[in-house]
Amino acid sequence: MNQLLLSIALWLHHSKRYKETKHFIYDLLKGEGNPYKKYVDLSIIFLIVTSVFILIYEVKHPVPHWLDTYDIYFVSFVFSVEYLLRLWVHNNLSERIVKEYKEAEFLGREFVPVVILKAGLIEKLKYMLTPSALIDLLAIFPAYRPLRVLRIFVLFRVLKLLRYTKSINQFIEVLSNKKFELLTLLFLLFFIVMTAGIAIYVLEEQTNEQINNLFDALYWALVTISTVGYGDISPVTPEGRSISVLVIISGIAMISFATSVIVSAFSEKLSELKENRIIEQVNKSKSFLLVCGYGQMTKMFFRQYAQSYDNYIILENSLERMEQARKDGYDAIYEDASRYETLSKFNAKHCDITILCLTASDVENVYITLNAKSISSRITVIARANDSSMVSKFKHAGADHILMPNKVANSMIYTAITQPTMYKAIHAILTGKNIARMDEIHAYECESIVGRTIAELEFKRAKLLFIGIDRGGNFLFNPPSSAVIERRDTLLVMGRKISLEYFKTRYQKGC
Amino acid sequence: MGKKILLFGYGNHGKYIAKGLVEDGFVVQVVENNPLHHTQAVEDGFESAVEIDITKDEALIGLNPSGYQQLVCVMDDEHLNVFLTLSLRSLFEKSYILSISDSIHVTKKLQMAGANRVIDLYEVSANKIHNILNRPVATRLLDEFVMYKNGIGFKELVIPEGSFLHGLMTDEVDLSAYGVLLVGLIDEMRGHHFEFITAGFNHRLDSGDTLVCIGEEAKLAYFKQLIASPHYPKG
Repeated sequence: MNQLLLSIALWLHHSKRYKETKHFIYDLLKGEGNPYKKYVDLSIIFLIVTSVFILIYEVKHPVPHWLDTYDIYFVSFVFSVEYLLRLWVHNNLSERIVKEYKEAEFLGREFVPVVILKAGLIEKLKYMLTPSALIDLLAIFPAYRPLRVLRIFVLFRVLKLLRYTKSINQFIEVLSNKKFELLTLLFLLFFIVMTAGIAIYVLEEQTNEQINNLFDALYWALVTISTVGYGDISPVTPEGRSISVLVIISGIAMISFATSVIVSAFSEKLSELKENRIIEQVNKSKSFLLVCGYGQMTKMFFRQYAQSYDNYIILENSLERMEQARKDGYDAIYEDASRYETLSKFNAKHCDITILCLTASDVENVYITLNAKSISSRITVIARANDSSMVSKFKHAGADHILMPNKVANSMIYTAITQPTMYKAIHAILTGKNIARMDEIHAYECESIVGRTIAELEFKRAKLLFIGIDRGGNFLFNPPSSAVIERRDTLLVMGRKISLEYFKTRYQKGC
Repeated sequence: MGKKILLFGYGNHGKYIAKGLVEDGFVVQVVENNPLHHTQAVEDGFESAVEIDITKDEALIGLNPSGYQQLVCVMDDEHLNVFLTLSLRSLFEKSYILSISDSIHVTKKLQMAGANRVIDLYEVSANKIHNILNRPVATRLLDEFVMYKNGIGFKELVIPEGSFLHGLMTDEVDLSAYGVLLVGLIDEMRGHHFEFITAGFNHRLDSGDTLVCIGEEAKLAYFKQLIASPHYPKG
C-alpha cells in the first residue's frame, strides 16, 4: 500500500506535464493576470445568469426540454468540474509524500505516508468548509423543480457570482474593515428586538389577537425597529404602544448609526479602491508605462505626448503633487515606487512594463531602478540621471537607458551654436515633427521585406530617404542598392509620417 | 572658423558647452557674476573670463557684445538668465541671443524677453524619452550622427558659384554614389528656410543654396571639393 502510494506520488512528482497542467489550472482559477482567466470567468458568469434566468422564466411559462437539460446536466457538470479542480489545486499531496519519503530515507526512519496524506486531506476538508467552497458545492445542485423549496438552491448560484465579480468582493472587504462597529450594532439590535419582543408578548398575548406566539412578537419588534412598519401586527394596549414609541426611537438612532458606519468605511477606502481600479485596468493591457515622479520633466513629457500613450500610471510619493497630476487630467496614484510592494502589484509576468524614473533625486531613481529590476528583468527602465557620476551606478543597477537632461540640453545648445541652420533640421528630426521623422522599420514586423534588395523596396517612390541598416548593433550607412534585407535588420529611414505609415502597411500586408 | 561666442554663465551647462566649442575652434569669451564659477573658468583655461555684475547695463556694454556672432545665456539662476536676455536684447537689438530654460514658464518669458532661440532643458529631454520609447534604434543612431560618433554625421554645404549642381533638379541628382545622402536644403529662391527632401518638392538647385547632407566625414569633405567642379563627375 505504502509502496503504491509512493510510486504514484513519485510518478506525479516527476511528470512535467502534470505539474504544468496543475500550475496552469491554478493560474486560471486563482491567479492574477492570466490572459485566459477573463474568458473562464465570463463563461461561468454566463452559466450562472442563464440558469437563474431559466428559473425565473419557468415560473410563468413552460420551458423547452433542452433548456431543462442544459440547466440540470450541463451547468451542474461544469460547476462540479470547477469545484473538483479547485479542490485539486488547493494543495499538493504528491509533493508532500515525496518530501516525507525523502526525509524518512535521510533520517533512516520508517516511511509512513498515511499521516502526511491525512494532514493533506484534512487541509482539503478545511478548504471545503470555507464559505466560498460551500457555496460552490451547493451551487452544483440544479434547482429541483418538483419541490418548490429546493429551487432556492439556485440562489447559491447567484452567490457564486461573488467569486467572479470584483466590486461585490470589494464591498464585502470594505465592510469587513468595520467588523467591530457592525457587530456591536448587530448585538444591540438583537438585544432591543429580544427585549421589545418579549415585552409585547408578555403584555399583549392575551389581548391582541394578532400576536399568537413569541415569533409574532419578535417579528413585530423587528418590523418596527427597522422603521418598515408593515402594520399587520400593531399594539393595542397603552403599555404596548409606549414600548412601540421606545422601539421606534431606538430604531431611528440605529439606522443612522449603521448608515454612518458604512459611509465612513467607504470614504476611508475610496481612494484605495480607485487606485486599485487604475492598477487593474492597466494590468489588463499588453504593455504600459509607469512614470515615477510628477515633476518638471514628467509634466513636460505628458504635456507633449500624453495623447500618444494610452496605458500609463504616474506614481508619486507626495500627496500634493499626486493631486496636481490628477488635476491636470492624468492617471496618478499616491504610491512610493521605491517600495517592493508597490511595483509588485503590477503584472510584470504578462505585460511589457516600461518604467520611467524621472524624479529629481538621483538616489531615488537608482533605488527605483534596482527595485524594478529585482522584481523582473523583463521590466525596461529608462532612468534620469542628473549627475554624470551616477551613470555607472545606473548601469550597475541595470537601467536600460540612462537619460541625462543636462547632457541632452548641452548637446542641443552646442548644435545650435555651431550649426545654427542645421539646428532646425536636427531639432525637427529629434522632435519627430510630421515633415521629417527619422524612424526605424523592424524587418521582423514587415515580413515581406525580408529577402528583398534595397532597390526593390523603392524608397524613393514612397518619398522616403533610406539612410542605412542597423544589423545587430552595427550600422551600415548607405549600403549598395543590391544589399538584401535580413530578418534581424532595422532599417533607418527619414520621411513624412504618412509616407512611413504607407510604407509599413504596404509591406505588412505582404504585397 | 574662428566664430566668436560670448558665453554668459559657467555653471552646469556653460562648462560643457565652452569645452566643446573651444575644441571645435570657436573663440569663447566667458562671463560670470559668481566668483566661484569665475575661478573655475580661469582654472579650466579660460584666462580671459571676466567677472562682472551682469545686472548693470554699463558692465554689459563694456563687453562689446556686438563684436560677437552669438550671445549664449546659460546662467544657473533662471531669474538672472531671463533678466540678462532682456537686458541684452534692449541694449543690442541685432545680436543673436540663445538662452537656456528649465521650465515651460521660463521658456515663454525668455521668448518675450527677445531671445532668438530658447532651448528648454525639459522639452528636449521629454522628446528624448518619447523617442527612446518609440524608436530606440533610430534615437541611438541619430545621437551618434549628431555627435559624429561613428564617423557619420550631418554637414551643411553651400553650393559654390559654377558648380555642376547649379541648374539640376533634386530628383535628378543621386548623391549616394558619393557616399552622401541629401537630407534637405535651403532653397534661396523659395525663401530662407530649411526644407526636407522628403517633403515631396522637386527643387531646382542654384549656387548659393545650402545643402544639408549626411555621410561619412571623409566622404563629406571630398564631396565638398567635388561640388566646386563645373562638370558632373563620374562616381
